[in-house]
Amino acid sequence: MSAETWKFAPAYELPHWPFVAPPDLANSESGERIRYPVVIAGGGLAGLTLACDLALRGVRAVVLDEDDTVGVKGASSRGICYAQKSLEIFERLGLYERIRAKGITWSVGRTFSGAEEVYTFNLQDDSASEQPPFINLQQFYLEWFLVDRIRELDTTDLRWKSRVTQVENEPDAVVVEVETPAGRYALEADWFIDATGANSRIREAMGLEVNPSRSTDRWCITDVRFKVPFPTQRWTWVDAPFNEGRAVWQHLMADDVWRLDYQMAEDCDPETISRPEVAGARLRAQLGPEVDFEFVWIGPYQYRDHLLETFRVGRTLFIGDSAHVVSPFGARGGNNGIQDAANLGWKLALVLAGEAGDELLDSYHAERHPAAVENLTVCRRTARFLAPRSRAEHRIRRAVCTLARRHEFARRLANTGRMAQANAYPPSPWAKAGARSVQNVAEGGTTLMRRLASGTRFLGLAFGADASTLAQLDELAALFPIDFHRADPAGPLAAHLGATAGTVAIVRPDAYLAARVAAEPEAVAAALRDALGRDERARLAA
Amino acid sequence: MRTDPNMADPDGFYEAWLAAHEGLSDEESAELDARLVALLANQVGDAQVLLACIAEARAGRGA
Repeated sequence: MSAETWKFAPAYELPHWPFVAPPDLANSESGERIRYPVVIAGGGLAGLTLACDLALRGVRAVVLDEDDTVGVKGASSRGICYAQKSLEIFERLGLYERIRAKGITWSVGRTFSGAEEVYTFNLQDDSASEQPPFINLQQFYLEWFLVDRIRELDTTDLRWKSRVTQVENEPDAVVVEVETPAGRYALEADWFIDATGANSRIREAMGLEVNPSRSTDRWCITDVRFKVPFPTQRWTWVDAPFNEGRAVWQHLMADDVWRLDYQMAEDCDPETISRPEVAGARLRAQLGPEVDFEFVWIGPYQYRDHLLETFRVGRTLFIGDSAHVVSPFGARGGNNGIQDAANLGWKLALVLAGEAGDELLDSYHAERHPAAVENLTVCRRTARFLAPRSRAEHRIRRAVCTLARRHEFARRLANTGRMAQANAYPPSPWAKAGARSVQNVAEGGTTLMRRLASGTRFLGLAFGADASTLAQLDELAALFPIDFHRADPAGPLAAHLGATAGTVAIVRPDAYLAARVAAEPEAVAAALRDALGRDERARLAA
Repeated sequence: MRTDPNMADPDGFYEAWLAAHEGLSDEESAELDARLVALLANQVGDAQVLLACIAEARAGRGA
């Protein structure tokens, strides 16, 4: 082997935010505690998205983060693929343009077996949204943009270098003890959110099981900067000739950095396979001798999954990796933390405003837990396809890949990842027919996300309504948090929702379709009572 | 012979197919697949379709 010298990119310079002594510290002697409506532990994707969402709803959350920067282990890029629903949420939160400008927009994924293409998908085909199916961006950039946006909104109390050491779930408050460079203090929260990630000590201290499992499959991420005009597509190899017949992922991120992810032998030594000369040899096998590259990050990993049984325990709610972890195939990790936050934000805001009873927060579990179960199933199937466990499994996979080169039906069986979509929610007391996501459709000179961008209001899209119908419906706006708009029964919203003239589509603040009913005030009011859990509240009070 | 997508839940089928092989020796696995072919052939029924499938499977040998 030639003695090539390996270049490393200079480390990213990440922002650091100062620890500021909070007013609670002055009370630590007296034992008095300040009470806050929402306290979020953990400033990762899920926690920051929730803080930002709440800020736009006028809820002043406290965020406690034990670090003073973004990312984990510096700039190691963890998540990279942000799905349409997440991008639509960020559009609503006012940071989408920055993500688009920095990130890599893509929609086409190609899968190869050996040297031949097995199948291609184009996610744009199913899209009615103003946002693309995916943008790739290093996770620390996204967290950074979220912090900047939260600071710009100036509503959230971001507390760096603040570690949660103890949580007491009391009936009327959660008492949270915090350790800081200037000492310890305790605060009280109406609602406490654990967004501290996969290894949550808060969850563990509460004695909650997540039934974890760890893969024997091993991979090595190699983030590399080089300039080769490869198309900005997701390329995956089931069995790459340049990786000893094992799988490889190739994805472009911001700053000309490529995420190359190599499946390794199960019995490999993680330290050996991540040495620069070993990782460099893999890259040379893939890229050839001419390409000039520099390493940004090399990291071996095994994946794992887990699922918390209940996402709400009294006044504590679990979001993101603290509640669920899946294997990385299909980008269902970070995207679902973001969607947890968007599901919970408006519900907290309405409960705090007295517009709904706290039972509405049970709908967070009723919707996001099944979503997590679905994501686990999907990701486990992909993991199984990628890591056959026996000669029989290898044989079946070879048969599928061979047939897939010639036949469309077999392409549906090849599975290098079913990309994250906004999960549909099952029927529940809050959505009797279930709830599906509504894309960010443009119509009438605006978009759905722009209409949802301020306050915490439902949208009533009245298809083909005349002035008197609209006036009747508008009277409901005094009783419920909803605004009505006339929509074109022949327009793109109607097509996307399958709506017809004379109906009202009730869209929730998180852009899920709560119900579709006749344009009659009684029908609309009944659907809103369901969506807000007001009937449930009356029943419980009786 | 149909080669366009006709399965309601391809990923679910694949999962069930693999699950059926769990814990079997390689020989037992091969026999399971042979039984499966016979059962599926009886669902298909049509002789010409079956002969076309046999020919296609034979032609499409992998590397």
